[in-house]
Order: sequence, then C-alpha cells, then structure tokens
Amino acid sequence: MAKSPKKSKSKLWFLVHSWLALPIWFFVLIVCFTGMLAVVSQEIVWLANPDVRASKPDGDAERLSYQQVLDALHKAEPDMAVESLRQPDGSHFALTADVTFPDGTSPTLYVNPYTGAIQGKSPDFNFEGFTRALHGWWLVPFTNGFSWGWYLVSILGLPMLASLVTGLVVYKKFWKGFFKPVRTGHGSRIFWGDLHRLAGVWSIWFIAVISITGTWFLIQAILFDNNISISSRPIVPVIAREDVPQTADGSQAPRIDVDEAARIAGLAIPGLEISSVSLPATAYSHVTLGGRGWYPLMFQSAAVNPYTRTVDSQFLISDRSALEFVTESMRPLHTGDFGGLPIKLIWFFFGLVLTLMVFSGLLIWTKRTAQATAAALKRSERAPRVASRETTVEIRP
Amino acid sequence: MSQAQTLPASPLKQWWLKWRFHLNILLILIPLGFMPKYFADAKLFRGDAGLGVNVISDIQVGPYSLDLAEMRDEAPRADGPAGHFKSFNASLCKACINDVKAVYLRIGKPRSLRAAGTIFFGAPYRMGTNLPIPPRTQPDAQIWITLEGWDGSMHQASVPLAKASPATVAWLEKQGGKK
Repeated sequence: MAKSPKKSKSKLWFLVHSWLALPIWFFVLIVCFTGMLAVVSQEIVWLANPDVRASKPDGDAERLSYQQVLDALHKAEPDMAVESLRQPDGSHFALTADVTFPDGTSPTLYVNPYTGAIQGKSPDFNFEGFTRALHGWWLVPFTNGFSWGWYLVSILGLPMLASLVTGLVVYKKFWKGFFKPVRTGHGSRIFWGDLHRLAGVWSIWFIAVISITGTWFLIQAILFDNNISISSRPIVPVIAREDVPQTADGSQAPRIDVDEAARIAGLAIPGLEISSVSLPATAYSHVTLGGRGWYPLMFQSAAVNPYTRTVDSQFLISDRSALEFVTESMRPLHTGDFGGLPIKLIWFFFGLVLTLMVFSGLLIWTKRTAQATAAALKRSERAPRVASRETTVEIRP
Repeated sequence: MSQAQTLPASPLKQWWLKWRFHLNILLILIPLGFMPKYFADAKLFRGDAGLGVNVISDIQVGPYSLDLAEMRDEAPRADGPAGHFKSFNASLCKACINDVKAVYLRIGKPRSLRAAGTIFFGAPYRMGTNLPIPPRTQPDAQIWITLEGWDGSMHQASVPLAKASPATVAWLEKQGGKK
C-alpha cells in the first residue's frame, strides 16, 4: 500500500498538470485558436481579397520607386493626403498606403507596386486587426495604459509554461516518445492520450517559445504601466524652427522627395532595406524610412530632415542593448513574423497542434479525471464519514 | 487503492465546485460585450464617424477657418507621470490648406508662437493632437487655436473649454475640491 515518495510526487505533478487549463479550458482553447488564425491572417486576407495581391501587369514589369507610387496616387486622387506607404513582408502583397480623403475618412489603400494603381480600399471589417485584437487583448479597449484584457491573455503564459514543465515531468522518458504510434482500437481515452503525448513532445520547443514570449507580454505591460522603460530608442525631436524655411509668398516650403530621402538614408546606413515610408505628419516632422536589417527580428529606421537633407536620427540594430535584443525579439518569435511564409506556416501548424492539445487534454480530463472524481464520490458515499472531494489526490501526512 | 482523505467541504468550496466551469462562459462573454465598442472605435479611427463629438464648426482664425472637435465625449485620460491629456481633432478649411504651416492648441492665451501649445499632426482634413490638461485649470478657461502661416504670419482665436469639451470641465470641477 505504502507508496514511494517519488511516485506520489509524480502523481501530484500529474494532478497539477491535469488541472492547469481548467476550469478555463474554453478560454485557453479560443486564445490558442485565434492566435493560430492571427499568424496567417494576412495570408487569409490575401487569399480572400484580390485587391491585396501584387499582380504583375506583364512578365518584365519593374517595381516602382516610392516616389513614383506617390506620384501615381496624387495623379489618381489629387486631393487625397498620403501619410505612409508600406510594403508588407512578401513581394506577393500589394503596397499599403494610409491616406486621408477630404471628407476626413482615412482608410488604408491597396496599391499595385508595378503600376501605382489603387486596387482597393481596406474593408470596414479588418480581419487581421480583429483576430489580433481578439487574441491579444480579448477586445478589451486600452483606456489607461494596457488593457486588462491584455493581462488576462498574457497571464496564460504562466500556466502554459507550467503545463509544459509538469507534462514533461509526468511523461516518463518523453524523449523516447517522438515516434510512438498513436494506438487506435483501444478506446478513445487511449487514442486521445497517445495523441496528446505525441503532439506534446513535438511541440516542446513551440510551447516553450509561445509561453515564454507570452509571459514577456505580461512583463511588458507591467513595465509600461509602472512607467519603467528599457528602450534605447532615441526620441526624435521636432525639426528646429529655424530649419523650416519661411516663404515670402506664403506657399509651402519645398521638401525633398521620398526617393531622395531614401537615397540619403541609404548613404548614411548601408544595408538599410526600406519597407516603410512615413511622410511628415507636421511641417516640423521628418520623413521616416524603416525596414528590416540583417537580423530579421528587428527593424531599423532613419529620420531624414526634408529641408536640410540630413539624417537627424537613426535607430539601428547595432544601437540596441543586449537586453533589447532579447526583448525586441519576443514579439516576432511569438507571431512567427520574421522569415516570410515558411515560418508563418510552421507557426500556424504548431498553433493548430497546440489548439488540439488543449482540446485533447480536455477530452482526457473528462474521461479520466471526471471518472476518478465520480469514483471518489461513490466511495465517499459508502463511507459517509469522509466528505466528497473532486479528485483522488493523496495527501501525505 | 487510493483512499480519498478529504477536508470537510465549506459552502464556498461547494459553490466553487459547482460553478467553476461557468468561468468559461464569463470569459467568453467579455469579448462579446466589448465587440460593439471595438467596432465603434475602428469606425472612429477610420474617420467614418466624423471629426469627433461636440464639433465647433467654422471657427474664424484670422483669414482662415477650421472645425474643432474632441475625439471622445469623456474626461481627460491619465498618461502616467506626464499628467492628463485630452484628444482633439481639427479640420482646416479646404482653401487654407496650402497656406497654413501648423496648427496649435493650448489652454490659455499663448505668449508667443514658441509657446503656442501642442501641434496638430496628420492630414489637414482630420488632424489630431493631445492637449495636456493641468488639474488646476479653471473650468471657465478658453482653449486657444494658433495658426502659423508659411509666410511667418500668426493668427489666433479661442473657444470656451466648456463648449469644446463639457466632460473635461465636469472633470475639472470634480478635481477642484481635491487639488
């Protein structure tokens, strides 16, 4: 009867593992599911909406420069104000342009990178934004610092990490489980159990990545809400009053065009690959050019003074502190957004596996833990001295 | 085999055992409840809901005019040690877009162009700025709009804060007792 302390400890671990996702399993399931969707939301929109695709007019068409795209936009819509241009990661995506029309509406336009033609307007329902908001902060609005929905979701990183650790503790010799076949024909409990373990061992790295980065999101919110900053990003001061020319006739002072700004930024920062252009938001603002550097998990940017042609501020990969290398890598690691479509598909697949693990975990739980609970209740009925209890945990004296 | 050694169940514990799985339902209700707010905000940010609330149209500022509105009909929002801020939107008259270099907003009359207040960002059709609201602001304060022309000219006008943002004045009156 008496059990070794080791065995009893592992039983306790097992119970901890069984109860981690409960009683919020459905919440965990939806968070995993929406996260899986959010990874490929851009691709889903690409499949669903032809406006988002960068269709080549003919075989040898060349991509336009940013200024050429701007010129095409101004020609098509002379009164429209363009705030920024961005090339999403992947040349099969159309450029996006954030614009404002004279009636005050500010949609995102999808622009053909070869012709500059406006292919369409972002629909009223933004699928990418919605899945990300649902997954990221449970749609709870940000009013004062981080939304409490953000805390609610990101705190799941902790039980998830605990599931991984306790799962590995209770799965004896898990490293031998990578090629264990899933047994069918022995009842659904065995089937789901085998599947849960098989999916689990293959997902060790993924669960570790997602739970650690998820926990970082929690830490990030705590830091922000307590006004603690670890950023070395420079605060770009506005352009000095004396650097912005006055004109005698009251017309706008000339600014350099975007291609010239890109050239100046490229001279100052060799290897800067520009994937986004922000046009000056005021008369005292810079043209900001940004893009990925040699380390694909981080972006670099340069602020070019459109009057004096100087790079007034820059933020490069080499400007980051060692700590920032870690913390800034967290988000792309979580979303799988650092290596184009192949990485996203891997993240999507393991997101699906993770969703299935939550689901199979629940099935196993209902079949085993609930049965054990029912059995314990029955026993306690037979022995009226002992009150009912939900599980069969052994408490050692 | 395993004997269920148990503690006596308290009413709280029984309540928890009975209702714990309903936590799921509560958690799912949260995004459902916030969905209308989410879509209303998305509409607001796209400019589909107009300039804002409590719109004051055609404020004459020298030879120019603009519309001013608060982003939301609510009290100023706290932003850590920086204090409280109130979001305002503005839209310049179509004819003056090319002449106006910058638009500023400030509580109380600016002494010079250098202290004209916060600058409006974005397209002239719908610009935005975050106006700091010191808690000691008098409820009868005026907010001053300063337009700077590309030729260096400066034009000013003011509107009562009470008209531009009644919720801010209500908030100030509440603060008045405490600060």
